[in-house]
Amino acid sequence: MEAARLGISKLGGADTLCRGSDPVAARHFKVSSITFRGAVTAEDPRSVLRRWLEAETLLVVGRSIERADSLEKALGRARFVEDFLEEGYLVARLALARTPHARLKAVKCSPALRVSGVLRVLTHRDIPGENQVGYAIPDQPLLAEGKVRYYGEPVAVVVGRDPDAVNEAVDLIELEAEPLPTLLDPLEAMERRDVLVHDALDSNIAFRTRVRKGDVEEGFGKADVVVENTYRTHHQEHVYLEPEAALAIPDLENRITVLATIQYPHLGQKIVSRVLGLPASYVKVVAPYIGGGFGGKDDEGPLVAARAALAAYHLRRPVFLYYTREDSIQVHPKREAAVIRYKSGASRDGRLTAIEVTIVHDTGAYANRGPFILWRATMHSSGPYYVPNAKVDGYCVYTNKVPQGSFRGFGNPPVHFAVESQMDQLAEKLGMDPVEFRLINLLRPGNETLTGQVLESSVGIHEALRRLAASSGWRAKRQEYGQLRAGRFRRGIGVAVAWHGNSTSRGVPDWSNAYIHVARDGSVSVYTGIVEMGQGSPSSSHRQLVAEILGCPIDKIRIVFGTTDAPDSGATHASRGTSVGAIGIVVAAGRIRSRLESFLSEYYGVERDRVEMSRGQVFVDGEVRMSWEELVALAYSKGVDLSATGYFFLPKGTFNEEVGQGFAYPAFSFIAVVVEIEVDTCTGRVRVLEVHPALAIGKVVNPEAVKTQVEGAVLQGIGYALMERLVFSADGKIVNDNLTDYVIPTFHEVPAIRDAIFVEDLWEFGPFGAKGVGEMALIPMPAAIANAMSHALGARILELPATLERVYSIARQTCGG
Amino acid sequence: MYYRLPKIEYFRPKTLEEAVGLLEKVEGSKVIAGGTDILVDAKTSRVRVKALVDIGSIAELRGIEDLGGAIRIGAATKLQELLESSAVSENLPLLRAAVESMASWQIRNMATVGGNLCNASPAADTAPPLLAYDAELVVVGPGGSRTVPITKFFTGYRATALGRAEILKEIIVRKAEWTGWNYIKLGRRDGFTLSIVAVAVLARVRNGTVEDVRIALNSVAPTPVRAYGAEEMLRGREVSRGALERAAREVMDEVSPIDDVRSTAWFRREMSYRLTLDALTKALGAE
Amino acid sequence: MRVAFNLNGRRVEVDVEPGEILLDTLRLRLDVRSVKRGCERGECGACTVLLDGRPVVSCLLLTAQVEGREVTTVEGLREDELFGELVDEFNKSFAVQCGYCAPAMVLTSYAFVKRVVEGRSRPSTSEILKAVEGNLCRCGTYPRVLRAISRVLERRLPGEPRR
Repeated sequence: MEAARLGISKLGGADTLCRGSDPVAARHFKVSSITFRGAVTAEDPRSVLRRWLEAETLLVVGRSIERADSLEKALGRARFVEDFLEEGYLVARLALARTPHARLKAVKCSPALRVSGVLRVLTHRDIPGENQVGYAIPDQPLLAEGKVRYYGEPVAVVVGRDPDAVNEAVDLIELEAEPLPTLLDPLEAMERRDVLVHDALDSNIAFRTRVRKGDVEEGFGKADVVVENTYRTHHQEHVYLEPEAALAIPDLENRITVLATIQYPHLGQKIVSRVLGLPASYVKVVAPYIGGGFGGKDDEGPLVAARAALAAYHLRRPVFLYYTREDSIQVHPKREAAVIRYKSGASRDGRLTAIEVTIVHDTGAYANRGPFILWRATMHSSGPYYVPNAKVDGYCVYTNKVPQGSFRGFGNPPVHFAVESQMDQLAEKLGMDPVEFRLINLLRPGNETLTGQVLESSVGIHEALRRLAASSGWRAKRQEYGQLRAGRFRRGIGVAVAWHGNSTSRGVPDWSNAYIHVARDGSVSVYTGIVEMGQGSPSSSHRQLVAEILGCPIDKIRIVFGTTDAPDSGATHASRGTSVGAIGIVVAAGRIRSRLESFLSEYYGVERDRVEMSRGQVFVDGEVRMSWEELVALAYSKGVDLSATGYFFLPKGTFNEEVGQGFAYPAFSFIAVVVEIEVDTCTGRVRVLEVHPALAIGKVVNPEAVKTQVEGAVLQGIGYALMERLVFSADGKIVNDNLTDYVIPTFHEVPAIRDAIFVEDLWEFGPFGAKGVGEMALIPMPAAIANAMSHALGARILELPATLERVYSIARQTCGG
Repeated sequence: MYYRLPKIEYFRPKTLEEAVGLLEKVEGSKVIAGGTDILVDAKTSRVRVKALVDIGSIAELRGIEDLGGAIRIGAATKLQELLESSAVSENLPLLRAAVESMASWQIRNMATVGGNLCNASPAADTAPPLLAYDAELVVVGPGGSRTVPITKFFTGYRATALGRAEILKEIIVRKAEWTGWNYIKLGRRDGFTLSIVAVAVLARVRNGTVEDVRIALNSVAPTPVRAYGAEEMLRGREVSRGALERAAREVMDEVSPIDDVRSTAWFRREMSYRLTLDALTKALGAE
Repeated sequence: MRVAFNLNGRRVEVDVEPGEILLDTLRLRLDVRSVKRGCERGECGACTVLLDGRPVVSCLLLTAQVEGREVTTVEGLREDELFGELVDEFNKSFAVQCGYCAPAMVLTSYAFVKRVVEGRSRPSTSEILKAVEGNLCRCGTYPRVLRAISRVLERRLPGEPRR
């Protein structure tokens, strides 16, 4: 642990990082060019992917087929973790630290144990395996040990017969601890060395990133206009309606099954097995339907699973662990709070000449996924523009607050708030229209990104923005609202664009996998580790991919999702459910299709290309020969293997951390939004009236489902930009840990969200060319709203959220009412 | 489950007298009507409860009646019933506007007007209109019945004039001729939420002169408040922009807001001015 | 204490703690799993049930308080024609994502639609918003829920929308 810590404290330490903190995985770094590849056959993953990428006529993919889960969910039949709780199971809840920073001497359990009905209080001493759950850096215990580093840090698991007993006991857990000075401000924490959140380090900087491209001095020398500002963004709470929970069921052989609110069952399996010291094969993790995740259950999910498993392991009975809403808000990691200093310059002809950026992330008590978040923010900090000269420095800083973690957009909403605010200001100084200025600088195929990576294809943002400007009536409205800049109620229209790398960064391994089995009756089971948390990949797109490829009726397909019984398909995060996460499904289905085609070709004695399988039927030369069910029965009788896996390991390139140059991501998704708002200058009330989205996300597998992802992200973006704000007390406690005091958008905050424009800039490895979409619309929303506000008011907001009070303070001079 | 209440006793008296008797007799007992406040307080241990006396089904506490010269509202009347009552919309439009801005349909189907007053939150939404109407509160206790003007009901932060074992029975609002009214609530979102500031204004203007005006606010002091100073500045005055602005400015001096998760004190004071000015402008027909 | 009430048209009698919350009684004693636990303080609406036909949050009701009353959840509406129509429109409108809020969302929408259909009055948009705002959805299905409600109203109450 010590060595790893030293490793990350210097530049280049990123080599030790990877998703899931597997030190072995780091060895794959920079060796992807010698990745094993099997013989190239029709079943070769690349051949399969290329075939379906190039398919000309699609019958199922690209259509808005209804989700398979709506009815059972609406009728209350769909089961979430808590719905599996049965009479007689033990229950457990976390005891949380009520101090932000202290040396922990002992957890005093005896008063709690005296409560009738309480059976055990488990602390770090009861962990049979490793008390280490840090994802990026091994800095985080499952249960506090040695130190408490944030108010709300879990210190014990209280297990009892009923919640009354457990709730009473949780309040009786006291810590024998010596208080330490508290660091809450990341800028202060960066400078301090006398107070360290992690004693083994020599500073509070958990991780650094950098980009050195070209020569910024020279770049700014060529600039005719320069804009420099400091932007501040805040923590955002996920508020998934279903709080965290896990049900752990042990069996007599020490094996354990855990149902959990989790976005990556295989990571849960790994963490549970590490904590319990069991082989992974002894641990099964299942995500039933998940009541919203948005990244939060990617971070907390495995920990919830591990804490429940720990209790079941010791008590040898099923244990249901629950978080109250307050527990949930106090404990689980939040959207990155950032301070971003941004300087950018452009020449008179409207070209960006240089950027100089410093990003400071408040990662709270633990790095969690902070280093990945910072890395992503850093490598996207130019926005999707060509920038010849860049100097970017990122710092992920420890404080005594709730950890920073994954939340839709993963580092990108704050950095885009900064970039896109800068772009508008540069355009204004140049006397250019913000859309025109962006079009000059937007990446096109063949351009080099901030990290020097050349994007040969799948770069449709230029077309997306051009079409968006036309369809939204940008030019006319921009002029009209600009002229009306008087009176109490002001209209404004703003634009923002964004990009988001698909897959894990750099050479961090990423793969997809699935297992498909066709039963004798023609029904198809698809096993995937991707979970269903609302995004709809198992419920809509996965079915469509399989139905398209096998040509079978879609209602024959059942997706068995969210289970470690499926091959490891990677996490359901990073917008990958229908993109990277579904590549394995395409490969597996493509293999079965290929076998069936070979079989049919032989059976009918015709060339393969004369055989067609679609709409549940087999055609030869366009004539129906048999049904899907008949085909399957026949294939079974003739010995065709109708089970297949579809492993695909994403090819990646190399990256130089010293200068932040190299291969960052295999592909990028893009979005542009135009937002229209109204501001009441006398109260600071901002209402978002209309949102026009345009996306370049490769193949759109289910257009309506994608639009619902856009709408959801827009609403979370509005909440983040305008009203959501966690308030910390002087001792680092989250004050508004309930839904009365932390407010999120309701029906009333819904703007008119126009039908999205899709530019299908296919990605060679995506399923039918699909890239990720889930996070996209959230990323540019704060910036677009800020730009629209600036258009309406002639004054700019540099700190989010743009609460009534903040808007009022910049607008009141102009309050005409 | 996560918050099942601690061991409590539950009583459901049929009459008010019985309810008062229980409150007097049972130690640690509290009234429950709609339950939307007391149960949150009990779950989060903000209030220690040993017994709950459910007055929700006592007939004499329910209903809205037009008494001719006044409207009587039983304390256990649900907010949604207020919203759907023609007696309220015809005679007490200011109260109706406040209730409409308040909570969600689910909560309005449960919460009672009396509960909203007795909970005495500084942000109580029914308080500003009822303060403006000078409502009278009929309170029943061991010593019999007494009437408390609402302006004397809120005695401090979450404190009321209710004595031990006393129950708010009904709210009487005398009819009066008002020429204008307005209610403005500002919250962190448009959807249901607690106010940053809310203002209720009632006015009687004749021939351009303010005969009477009432101004009440919530979330700007330990209790919902009337802005007497500002009212006084307007009474007998001609309606003019300047007079309204002076009155609204006076309100800023009368309030004593605090910082909390919803707003800073500074912004509340600013909004006391703005919302009062807007509400006066509408209510006094100065637009 | 014994409490008797009607649940989805059937009389049930349960032995509960006086301080027991209806949400817990429904989920844990009566196996009604459509009623979800969200915030437990009446803010999110995931635990909505109909009490004598009106939506209420079951997290802020003592089970003792529903003595003698009629409690309805989606389990009790599966045969109801209007309910079926509404659920069908939820499906067609893509109004369900994670689905945690869905049963409650459908239930509140149903109570509202039933009411306006029976009253033969076409509601304004703001009336619809006021009716359903107590159901939070973090996935952001709101526009789709409004679409589903509007489609049912268009069919059931043809004619111009009331302003």
